[in-house]
Amino acid sequence: MDDWPRLVDCDVHNTMANRLELLPFLPKVWHQQWLEDGFGVGGKPWNAAGLERRDADPPGGGPAGSDPHFLLEHHVQPFGIDVAILTGTPYMNATSLCYDPDYGTALARALNDWMVEKWLSTSPRYRGSIQINFSDPQAAAKEIDRMAGHPGMVQVIMCSVARMPFGQRFYHPIYEAAERNGLPVAIHPGCEGLGMSYPPTPVGYPTRYLEWQNIVPLTYMAHINSLICEGVFERFPSLKFIAIEGGVAWLPQLMWRMDKNYKALRDTVPWMKKLPSEYIREHIRLTTQPIDEPKDPGHLVQIIEMSEAEHMIMFSSDYPHWDNDHPRMTLARFPRPLRARIAAANAVDVYGPRLLGNASVRHAAATDGGGARG
Amino acid sequence: MAKHAVATMDELLQHRFKLVAVNGLEVGIYLVGDELYAWRNVCPHAGAPVCRGRVGGTRLPSGVYEYEYGRDGEILRCPWHGWEFDLRTGDHLVPTGTKLKGYRAEREGNVVYLVV
Repeated sequence: MDDWPRLVDCDVHNTMANRLELLPFLPKVWHQQWLEDGFGVGGKPWNAAGLERRDADPPGGGPAGSDPHFLLEHHVQPFGIDVAILTGTPYMNATSLCYDPDYGTALARALNDWMVEKWLSTSPRYRGSIQINFSDPQAAAKEIDRMAGHPGMVQVIMCSVARMPFGQRFYHPIYEAAERNGLPVAIHPGCEGLGMSYPPTPVGYPTRYLEWQNIVPLTYMAHINSLICEGVFERFPSLKFIAIEGGVAWLPQLMWRMDKNYKALRDTVPWMKKLPSEYIREHIRLTTQPIDEPKDPGHLVQIIEMSEAEHMIMFSSDYPHWDNDHPRMTLARFPRPLRARIAAANAVDVYGPRLLGNASVRHAAATDGGGARG
Repeated sequence: MAKHAVATMDELLQHRFKLVAVNGLEVGIYLVGDELYAWRNVCPHAGAPVCRGRVGGTRLPSGVYEYEYGRDGEILRCPWHGWEFDLRTGDHLVPTGTKLKGYRAEREGNVVYLVV
């Protein structure tokens, strides 16, 4: 079992069949608001392809990703995915953008209990992400402490958009809680411009979804820049930060630019003791989907090499979203042994024992389809 | 190697710095505390006239959101890209291995000599 797991999918989207599913986990006081308004953070430009794969609808009804058994049969088992990290939906990651912070916190709590009861109990291959409302960092820290005891929860997750960059001291209680519980903090895109957030770019609203999707890495670069310069990893030295679905190819440019400016302006961040790129390599992790597609796939490998990022990149499919990546075709773009690192080893390194589970769980997952139906 | 009289101690005690030229070579003479230092007026990073930069102190390595000013009068900041150099060693304060090119400055009475 030493080579287990061989494939970890770091971004699998699970959702509800309908809003009624959350009610058992949500205090009555919020029921009407939830049923009538949902997350209440609005929408983004229209996508001609739809958000979800049309072939991923569960046969029993409900939207793609809403049936934990069908998700195993349709995605996890056929591709030999040993561990699937469930991230919820982009809207679930966006309770932080709700106008009412107490509503956002209540939703995050309910979503976490729903994740445990509906999903983590279904299969030992599933791992969960702890939703938090980062707009109330104290409440978020309490929620991390509440959920960290569940061994299937492998990370804290937040939407990638925010009203101030993630390095700032406002957020530090969240990182303190994550670090003391041994959990990485992940961000996921999809809500740029929604709820109380700013436009998806600092220069305003894109007109079309294509344009919106193109520019998601802006937020990622802004947050990573902030995390490093604000000294988050000096203050929380064992914290890891996972940038899901934000791209890879911009990495060398950000590293080079940050290093260049640090060489000049070190005195404005005297708590930084290393080059920014060194903090990035030690603390930031990226996921593959949507995989950058240069004409020659080797050019992406070169970018990873020039960033010395071979240990930073983790496979993700984004199932069942429209722009998801096929596991085998994506991994085939990378030469060995980099492929094995991206497929599983890097995820094992960053998620550790929570990813691996105990030996019996591992055995069940590896041999019988992970407790899937029947 | 030859010794060139380039300044007086009176000048340096007053200004702590004098830019001098010997056979077309520009050198900044600095008085830091009681010690004389001579650095070539070319930044090894990008060719700037580094000695035209401001001399001051810096924020010393500290904890997050803590500020400790120190080394006043010992740090030269290049006027082009802002790199800070330690006037006592010539080293860039970020350990990039970049270092100012130095010469020997000597004093005899009130006269300061540059040895090049």
